[in-house]
Amino acid sequence: MFIRLVKFAWKIIWRNFRRTVITGLAVGLGLGSMMFTEGLMQGMIAHMIQTTTESWMGDAQIHRDGFLDTRNINLIIKRPDSTFSMLDSDSTVSCYTARILSPASVTSTTELKPVTLIGVDSETDPDVTMLEAAIDSGYYLSGDSTELIIGYKLALDLNAGLGDVIVITVAQAGSGLSSSMFFVSGICHFGSDNLDRYSAFVNLTAAGRMLGIQGEIHEIAVKFPQVEMGADTSLGFWNRFSVFGNNAVGWPELAPQVNSMLNMVDMSMAIMAAILFGLVVFGIVNSLFMSVYERMYEFGVMKAVGTRTGTITTMVVLEAFWIAVISTVIGIAIGLLTIWITSKTGISFGEIELSGVVFNKPIYPVLSLSRMWIYPLFTLILTTAAGVYPGIHAGRLNPAEAMRKSL
Amino acid sequence: MNMTDNDVIVAEGVVKTYDDSGVPVHAVRGIDYTLGKGEFTAIIGPSGSGKTTFLNILAGLDTPTAGEVWLSGRQISDMSGKELSDFRRDHIGFIFQAYNLFPVLTVEENVEYVMLLQGVQPEERHERVMSILEKVGIADYAGRLPMQLSGGQQQRVAVARAMVSRPSLVIADEPTANLDSKTSGGLLDMMRRLNEDTGMTFLFSTHDEIVMKRARKIVILRDGRIDGKASPEEIK
Repeated sequence: MFIRLVKFAWKIIWRNFRRTVITGLAVGLGLGSMMFTEGLMQGMIAHMIQTTTESWMGDAQIHRDGFLDTRNINLIIKRPDSTFSMLDSDSTVSCYTARILSPASVTSTTELKPVTLIGVDSETDPDVTMLEAAIDSGYYLSGDSTELIIGYKLALDLNAGLGDVIVITVAQAGSGLSSSMFFVSGICHFGSDNLDRYSAFVNLTAAGRMLGIQGEIHEIAVKFPQVEMGADTSLGFWNRFSVFGNNAVGWPELAPQVNSMLNMVDMSMAIMAAILFGLVVFGIVNSLFMSVYERMYEFGVMKAVGTRTGTITTMVVLEAFWIAVISTVIGIAIGLLTIWITSKTGISFGEIELSGVVFNKPIYPVLSLSRMWIYPLFTLILTTAAGVYPGIHAGRLNPAEAMRKSL
Repeated sequence: MNMTDNDVIVAEGVVKTYDDSGVPVHAVRGIDYTLGKGEFTAIIGPSGSGKTTFLNILAGLDTPTAGEVWLSGRQISDMSGKELSDFRRDHIGFIFQAYNLFPVLTVEENVEYVMLLQGVQPEERHERVMSILEKVGIADYAGRLPMQLSGGQQQRVAVARAMVSRPSLVIADEPTANLDSKTSGGLLDMMRRLNEDTGMTFLFSTHDEIVMKRARKIVILRDGRIDGKASPEEIK
């Protein structure tokens, strides 16, 4: 009997071809747009993570305990040579680079600005960061102790250009101030305010000499084969390198704004899905009620010949199920097609900055089946469930009244 | 209640009053009626005389405001909705004036529908469907959809659907209302032949002279009351 009802319901939904197709398209478009939005969000998140980790941060970093919170220049990494040896032999590590970091002031002939002075190992840094690639004019660090790279915004603020003299002043480890003269050898453009306006890059040895910590470092930036490993808390790396009083942390902890963005995306998608699926449910209920009212006499006849209430309810729910199947197929097709096309062409947002990350390249939506399966499933369940109310209404019709009303 | 083994329906003091926006409408005003087994009876009367309402009450499609209805030994006015559904499925066949076949089902599927509800096995269903379609003369159209048939053919399918589950009573509400006189006559002749062959009881409402002529008994309804009984000859 149930199989016959399933077939019966399939035939019934095609009695009004136009309504079934329009309903299927409406629900399918909703589902497709949810899948596309999810894909776009995943693409944006992937872009944010990639931009954040590849431009400067790395997938993970190692510091002395407490350095990240205080930025105290006296908190240098303990046993750096042993740490380097361990990193060289660690199979999970692709490459790494060491840095020195210190608050500083930079002075041109006309302006004075606060910055973070960053001592860079010019040999290993290009493997980990985009500093070399971000240079717009001039050249990358070659090892000369007077070379200085600044961002284009800082250059504008200082009224400085290539070859100009800049004086950098820092507080030395222990006590005292140290000032040194540098020449602007390169001007970079990351697209991030933090790096373009508030950072100054010099050679590692020059920074160490200024701070009085020659041979010491504050930070090691590490790249893994896959960026996701930086968020994998079960990775043995964290325990292996959180030793000697040092602490290894991944990008989610280093860039909490990206993590917040991830949570915000999840919440936004949940709200969007709730609104959209709410509309879907009302749309289906409305469509099925129209169908029920059109077939009032037929339901009256069905009841008259002995069809039970439950059987009629089941049949209307099965009609909703078939509409759900059609809508889901249409929705998946629309979703996959739009994601596939835009994953090839990309979507450009101009140059907007969100949570400190600049979207200056096209965003490529990502097809993430592990997250997307939920939308078709919800569409299938909710659209089918939307048939229950009209189904109960149809099942409870008084046969004589149903036949009288529809005449 | 005084019901014998030869009775299919006994109705006592049946009253039906509708509420039409606060105004009571007395559709049936206290009818006592007994229908015997194997009868082929027509209920006639002008429009608004209460024919359809009375038939609906006898068939358990509507509940009386007062009175009792007994069908095949059971009081149907006391049954629950589910009991009534099952009872109608097993004991009553319906023929409606607008055929009311399921448009998406083929002739065979329409006719077997009630047996499907009864849980009859597929082989038996097919056998019984083909047998009744032979009797009503449309076995060749078993695979067609109702819209591919003429009005008369559709009503024959409706007759087959009403009879295939072998009910104790077939109720027909204006079965020829949408048919021309020639088709109506043919349909009634066929129904009467089936009544004679199977002994199944037929009760139908009509104001069609062709139907009245072929009935064995006629009950006249006027203003919700039985206004008399007659033979077809007396009506002529």
